[in-house]
Amino acid sequence: MYWYHYLGLAALVVFAVAMLWHFLRLIREGNPKDFSKKTGNLVKAEAYAYTTAMMPNHKETAYLHIPTFTAGALFHIGTFISILLFAVFFFISPAQFPLWLSRILTVCILAGAACGTGLLIKRMVVKKMRDLSHLDDYLSNFLTTLFQLFTILYLMLPHMFAPVYYIEVTVLLLYMPIGKLRHVLYFFAARYHLGRFYGWRNVWPPKK
Amino acid sequence: MEKLTTEQIDKALHLLKMRPDSKLETHLNACVHCGLCAESCMYYKTLHDDRYMPARKVELVAALYRKYCTLIGRVAPFLVNARPLDEQMAEEMTDALFGACTMCGRCVKHCSIGVDIAYVVHFGRRMLAAMGLVPATLQATVDAALQTGNNMAIPTADFVDTIQWMEEDLQDECGSEARIPLNETDKNILYTLNPREPKFFPLSIAALAKIFFAAKESWTISTDMYDVTNYGLFSGNNEHAKSIAKRLHDEVFNKHCKILVLGECGHGSRANRWEGPNYLQHSYEFETITAVELINTYIREGRIKLDKSLNQELVTLHDPCNLVRNGGLESELRYTISQSVTHFKEMTPHGIDNFCCGGGGGQLAMSEYNERRIAIGKIKADQIRNTGAKVVVTPCHNCVDQLIQLNNIYKLNVKIKTIAEIVADALVLE
Amino acid sequence: MAELNFDGDGFLTNPEVWNDEVALQIAQADGIEMTDKHWAVVRVIRNNFNEKGNAPMIRTICKETGLKLKDIYELFPLGPARGACRVAGLPKPDGCV
Repeated sequence: MYWYHYLGLAALVVFAVAMLWHFLRLIREGNPKDFSKKTGNLVKAEAYAYTTAMMPNHKETAYLHIPTFTAGALFHIGTFISILLFAVFFFISPAQFPLWLSRILTVCILAGAACGTGLLIKRMVVKKMRDLSHLDDYLSNFLTTLFQLFTILYLMLPHMFAPVYYIEVTVLLLYMPIGKLRHVLYFFAARYHLGRFYGWRNVWPPKK
Repeated sequence: MEKLTTEQIDKALHLLKMRPDSKLETHLNACVHCGLCAESCMYYKTLHDDRYMPARKVELVAALYRKYCTLIGRVAPFLVNARPLDEQMAEEMTDALFGACTMCGRCVKHCSIGVDIAYVVHFGRRMLAAMGLVPATLQATVDAALQTGNNMAIPTADFVDTIQWMEEDLQDECGSEARIPLNETDKNILYTLNPREPKFFPLSIAALAKIFFAAKESWTISTDMYDVTNYGLFSGNNEHAKSIAKRLHDEVFNKHCKILVLGECGHGSRANRWEGPNYLQHSYEFETITAVELINTYIREGRIKLDKSLNQELVTLHDPCNLVRNGGLESELRYTISQSVTHFKEMTPHGIDNFCCGGGGGQLAMSEYNERRIAIGKIKADQIRNTGAKVVVTPCHNCVDQLIQLNNIYKLNVKIKTIAEIVADALVLE
Repeated sequence: MAELNFDGDGFLTNPEVWNDEVALQIAQADGIEMTDKHWAVVRVIRNNFNEKGNAPMIRTICKETGLKLKDIYELFPLGPARGACRVAGLPKPDGCV
């Protein structure tokens, strides 16, 4: 392990502690107490909320916006692969990756980075998106897209890009808990509360 | 607007700082500004004003949250858009949260993340209410309910006179055994009304009385407390909402009834069925159901007989947001309609995806934003026109009133009926 | 003629300036041609407002004009509140209207 490995590891610990703090705060605050008489099934509603409810045919934000929805999905896939690789890199150096695997991963992540860039441009160009956005929105996208690009570079040229890759990851991990990237946690919390709300009133899962 | 006093600001911030559970915390932290909710909102779709995107409404409250409840918001407000509560903010909040949201929750159901936008909007209204910034016309409706026991300030003598008039009409049709029993005790059902019925549109009272007569129901209406509405739900003043809900709750005990039946009123049903127990902080000791569920049960159990050939015109159904997307009665409504009319056509979209009539969230009571209400109603008008229906049925008097206006302005040429009215038209008396 | 002030809903906010001419003006905007029956309804509403300060019950309107409910809904397609009361120059009633 080199110094930059330790740097990345330290950032990971800080990130984990910060997100754990967010998580424990939610747990401490607890569910809202609902005194009304429940009519639905919470388990089924939660299952729906985390799965089918997000399918493109169930969600207008998806089926009315297929290009953006697809770009968003690919951007997220690229990010997940990159995160997975970040963990793997502690055990296997990218230099040891077989070429075919590196190439497949590169293509997948590149697609994600391209979509991330596209979404960033959309945010800057489309007026309603610009009006909705703040520094945090641009920075969050930028750091994530950059993370994907550096993952690719590190995969292809491990010796040259190792330090800069870990520095980028460190910045990203430290920024995540304070910017909107903390939706990595709050996304699941929001879907939980939504499933609970609709499930309590027998709205979800839909009846047809 | 007038300068905010420190006291006003403190009251609003107090609400924000004492977040009672993880729900508010979650929804104020979850939005990623993807902006895709815009096209799910009637206001944005019609007015194309960026400020009315659902995400922007959440952002107003979230910006305050970041300013006063997060470290990063205090240290680097420019980075995460943390904003102070000042006159500018209060003005923007009033315009967007009171003036440009029916709290229909359509954006909530479709949100990429699952942010309960309507819940955040309601919370924002609570902050505005704490500062005394509820729009005057909405507050007047709440005040009328608090002071007189019904939101149209109808004197008891006038109410009784109207009910007797409807009873006479009913008896002309069904015989002297058909009644509208007032202030009787130990009945099965305590029935409630939207004050708009006795004041201006009493036919729905007679229609429901006819259904009760056919079902041989034991029921009563209390002249002391019959108002099903609760505009405290919309004004954001939970204390007001609580006192209004408590009166109806207590009246069930006063009249020794077993079931509280909520008249055809979307927000009133929500306020008493789902929110009431939480305002009062205890579960209700009696059953609380909506008129929609009651009629549905009568049909299923064979307590009333319907001949749907008596309703021959093409009918469509408007799903009130508070009964369907926020109340779970989608299939109950459809079953009742399927048993009551010969020809039925759904709107596109419908059910839990339906568009609001445009008059929800207290909009109908707020003259301040009338033009917007009529403008966004065009979406509903077009939906209705596209079905080709001659009759629009909806179990909500608030929706009925908005639809009457849309019918007139957009020249739809339809009749608008409540569920009780369409069912009563198909009723076969034995 | 005194200045007419309307709220967002088109209800007069200064009902004291109302007169027959104003009624005609509001009715015309709604596409209503005022007949004797229309005037009868408007007079009942106006008298009630002058005496009690609010809109009468539909019951009162029917009783005093001798018209049936159905007739009133036909005369004023926007209903007794947004239709008739507005023509009669009343401020907007509270509630779901």
